[in-house]
Amino acid sequence: MSNALRTLSKRLPSLASTAMLLLLAGLATACDEAHPRDAYAHPAGDASEISAWFYNMYLVLDTIIFVGVLAAFFIALIKFRKKPGDNTLPEQSFGDPRLEIAWTIVPTLVVLGITIPTLGGLFELAKRPDQNQKIIDIEVTGKQWWWELDYKKEGINTGNEMHVEVGTQVMLHLTSADVIHAWWVPRLSGKRDATPGRSYPLNFRPKEVGSFDGQCAELCGASHALMGIRIIVHPKDGPDSYENWVKHTKEVAAKPTTPAAEAGQKVFMGKGCVACHSISGVSELAVGARSRTSGPNLTHVGSRDYIAAHTLKNTPENIATWVKNPQAVKPGALMTNLGLTDQEAKDVAAFLTSLK
Amino acid sequence: MASIADFAAAQKPIYHQERPSKTGLMDWLTTVDHKKIGILYGGAGLFWLLIGGLEALLFRIQLARPDQHIFIGDTYNGLVTMHATTMVFLAVMPMIAGFSNYFVPLMIGARDVAFPRMNAFSWWTFFAGSLTINASLLFCGAFPAAGWTGYAPLTTKEFSGMPIDFWWAGLTLLAVSSMVAGVNFVVTILNLRAPGMTLMRVPVLTWMMLVIQFLLAFSFPPVAVGLILLAFDRTFGTVFYSTGMGGDPHLWQHLFWLFGHPEVYVLILPSMGIVSEILPVFTRRPLFGHHAVIFSGVFIGFVGFGVWGHHMFTAGMGPIADAAFASTTAIVAIPTGVKIFNWIGTMYNSKMTFPTAMLFAISFIPMFTLGGLSGMMHASPPLDLQQHDTYFVVAHFHYVLVGGALQGLFAGFYFYMPKISGKMLNETLGKIHFWVFLIGFNVTFFPMHLLGNHGMPRRIYTYPADAGWNTENLLATGGVFLMAGATLLFVYNLITSLKNGKDAGSDPWDANTLEWMTSSPPPVHNFDFTPVVLSERPLWDHKYTPGMEIPVPEQAEEIHMPSPSWRPMWVSASAGLIIVGLLTFSGIAGIPGWPLCIVGALGVIFSVYAWVTEPV
Repeated sequence: MSNALRTLSKRLPSLASTAMLLLLAGLATACDEAHPRDAYAHPAGDASEISAWFYNMYLVLDTIIFVGVLAAFFIALIKFRKKPGDNTLPEQSFGDPRLEIAWTIVPTLVVLGITIPTLGGLFELAKRPDQNQKIIDIEVTGKQWWWELDYKKEGINTGNEMHVEVGTQVMLHLTSADVIHAWWVPRLSGKRDATPGRSYPLNFRPKEVGSFDGQCAELCGASHALMGIRIIVHPKDGPDSYENWVKHTKEVAAKPTTPAAEAGQKVFMGKGCVACHSISGVSELAVGARSRTSGPNLTHVGSRDYIAAHTLKNTPENIATWVKNPQAVKPGALMTNLGLTDQEAKDVAAFLTSLK
Repeated sequence: MASIADFAAAQKPIYHQERPSKTGLMDWLTTVDHKKIGILYGGAGLFWLLIGGLEALLFRIQLARPDQHIFIGDTYNGLVTMHATTMVFLAVMPMIAGFSNYFVPLMIGARDVAFPRMNAFSWWTFFAGSLTINASLLFCGAFPAAGWTGYAPLTTKEFSGMPIDFWWAGLTLLAVSSMVAGVNFVVTILNLRAPGMTLMRVPVLTWMMLVIQFLLAFSFPPVAVGLILLAFDRTFGTVFYSTGMGGDPHLWQHLFWLFGHPEVYVLILPSMGIVSEILPVFTRRPLFGHHAVIFSGVFIGFVGFGVWGHHMFTAGMGPIADAAFASTTAIVAIPTGVKIFNWIGTMYNSKMTFPTAMLFAISFIPMFTLGGLSGMMHASPPLDLQQHDTYFVVAHFHYVLVGGALQGLFAGFYFYMPKISGKMLNETLGKIHFWVFLIGFNVTFFPMHLLGNHGMPRRIYTYPADAGWNTENLLATGGVFLMAGATLLFVYNLITSLKNGKDAGSDPWDANTLEWMTSSPPPVHNFDFTPVVLSERPLWDHKYTPGMEIPVPEQAEEIHMPSPSWRPMWVSASAGLIIVGLLTFSGIAGIPGWPLCIVGALGVIFSVYAWVTEPV
C-alpha cells in the first residue's frame, strides 16, 4: 500500500503534466463552440470596442509579465536544487538594495503607463453624447425578473427586447422598481447598475445589425439567472428598418381572427391577466395602476423572439406552459398562477401569438 | 557549534497561577492558553472548510450542464451565499486566527497574548457567530440567499425572509470577535516581544499578522455599523436602505466594501507571511530583501483602505470617483510585485529541498501572480465594466484566495503541524494532496476566465445550452471533485499523523525562528526561559553563527501564568442572548422575544463586572 503510494507520488509530476494537457484539450474544444456573447473578440458597439481595446492591451502586458515571472521561477527551480550529499550552506545574502530599487521603480513606471490611458478610456466612456444628433432615449426599469423599456419620445412601452438602429447613438436611463439589477449586453456595452431611487445613463452606439443577447448581472433574487435581455439592432433603411419597427409598434394590436385566439382574448380579459398586463387596443392599465409587480406590456408580444425575459422561445406551447404555472418556469416569479385549464392556456397562447 | 540541545539544560521555570488549569472537556471550555485557543480556531476553520467546499460541490453539480434543475432559485443562491460567507469568515479567517494565536506569542518569545481572557472571548464569540449564521438552515429550512456581499435592498424585509436575520446576526458577532482579537494582537506584538527583538527583527509572518490585526480593528467597524443599520431596518422598520423614504442602497455598498477590501488583504497577507517563513528554511538562505517584504506588506495594508470603490465601478459613482479608485488600486500592484520578486530572489543561489510545505509555498508564487495580473485588469474601469460580476472575477479571486491564501495555509499546516502536535505529517500523502489539489484547482478556475470573457455572469443558477459556456462549466465541475478529494486526503493525513506520525523533535526543519527552540508541542509556559534575540534569525544564528548564541540563564525564571476562566464565555453567551432577542423581537407563537435583549444586556454588564473583578 505505502509502496504503491510512494510510486504514485513519484509519478505525480508527469501525471500533472498529462492533466494539464487534458485541460488544454478541453479548453481547445471550448474554443470551437460559438460564443455569441464575447465582447472582446466581437465587439459590436463603440463602448465595447473601448473595453476590448483595454482587454487586449492588458492581455499582452500580463502575458509578458507572467511569462517573465514564470521563466525566473522555473530557472531557479531547476538550477538551485540541493544536490544529494551536499551539506554546505549556500551564500547567505540578505538582499541587494539596487535590485530592490529597480524592482520598485519598474513596476511603478508600468503602473503609471497603464493608468494614464485607463483614465482616458474612463472619461471617454463617461462623455455625454452630443445632443445635436439623433439619439434614441430609452428609460429602462429593472424589475424582478424582467426589464421594462419606455421609449418616451416615441410613446412605446415594451419589455425585455430592445430595438435600436445601427449607427445611431443610444442613451439608456437605468433605474429599478425593486432591488439592484445590472444591465449588460456584452457585445454592445459594459454593464451599469439599475438602482432603485436613482437613474444612471448608459451610452453606446451599435455598429452591427443583428440580435445581441445579455442578462442581468447583479444578484437580484431567486430568478436572477432568468432575467435576460435581447437588443435587436435594425438597419437604417429597408423593410426591417428601425423607423418601420417604431411605426408598426405604435399601432394597436390586430384583432384576433381565429376562434382559438378569440377564446384566448376572453380568458385574458376574464381571468385577471388584465390586472397586470396592457395590450393597446384591448385593455390598457392607467399609469397610476402600474405597480412594481405589474407585468410587461404585451401589445406585440407575438413578434418577440422569447417570452419571460429570454427564458423560453416564443412558441404557443411555451406560452401555454408559462401561463399555466409561471413559478415552475421561473422560481419565485411574481406572475400569479391563475389556475388556467389546459384548454384556457392553449387559447391564451393562441391569442398572444396572434399579437404580431 | 551550538545546537538546540543546549536549551535542554535550562532550569524549568517556577510558576504562579491563581487557579490550576482544569482537565478534559472543562479545560477546553475554560482555557485562556493561546495554544489551545489556536487549536480550537484551526479545528473550526478546517471543519467549515469542508462544509464550504461541500456547498461549492453542490452548486457546481447544478452548473455542470446547461438547463439543469437540481438546485434552483434561492436554494442555489443560498448555497452560493453560504459558500462565500463560510469560506471567508468561518474557514480562512479562523485558520488565520489559529496560526496567529498559536504562533505569534511563540515567534516573539512571549508567554501568551497580552489579554488571554479577551482571546477566549474572541473565540467564543466567533463560535456563537458561526453557529448563528448556519442556524437559519435549522430554523427556516433555508440559507440566506442575498450573496455574501448582501447588497441592499435585496436584504431588506420587503425582498428577503428570515434567513437574512441569521446572516446579519451571525456576522455582527463575528465582527465583534474580530475587532477584539485585532486589538489584542496589536498590543501583544507591540508590547510582548522578547528582549532584543526590535521591530525589524520580528519574523515576517508576525509582521503580516500585525498588519492584518490593524486591518481587522479598523475595517470591521464600518461593516458592523452597516449590519446594525440593516438590523434596525429589518427589526424596527427604519429605512436606511429603502429608497422610498429617503434611504440609500449605496450606503450599504460603501460601508461593506470599506470593510470588504481590507478584508481580502486580511485573507492574503498571513499566507504571504507563511511563504516568507517557509522559503528561507528550505532554500537555506535568509529571505531576500527582508525589510522590503515587510514594508510592502505594511504598504498593502495602508493602501487597502483607499481602494474599496473599485468594487463599485458599475454602480455609477461618477468618473471622478472612478478615476481616483482606479489609480489607488493600480498602486497595489507595486508592493505585490516587490514581494513576488523577493521570493524568487530568495530562490536564486540557494540549495532548495522540496517537502510538501515548500511545494505549497512555491506554487503560491505563480498562482498568486496569475490572480494578481487578472486583478490589474479590473482595476481599469473601462475593462471592469465588462468584467464586473462575471466568471472572470470569480476566476480572479479564487486564484488569489485558493491559489494564494488557501495554498499558503496548507503550506502552513505541513510546516507548523509538527510543532503543534509533535508529529510529522506523511510526506507521500502530502505530495499527492499537493499535486491533485493544484491540478484540480487549475482545472476548476482557469476555464472560468474564459467563461467571463464569453459573457457568463456570476451567481446564475442555470444557463442556456446555446450561450457557448458548456465545456468550461463541465471542466470546472470536474476540477472541484479533484480539489475535494485532495482536501479529504489532507484531513485524513492530519488525523492519522496524530497517532502514526514520526516524532518531530523541537526543530524538524532546521529553522530560523524562536518557536522552533522549544519542545513540540510547547509546554504551557512556551519557553523555559525568556530568549534574548540578537538578529532577525535568532535560532539560525544560534546554530550557525559563532558568537550569536542565545544565552541560557543559570537560574530558573519565576513566571505568572493566566488562570482558566468561564467569564469570557459568559459575556459571549450574553451577547448571543441579545442577538436571539433581536431575531425573535416581535415574537414567536405570541411570546415576544424582546425581553431576551434586556436579559442579555444585563448579562453582559454582570459578566463583564465578574470578569474584571476576577482574580487572575
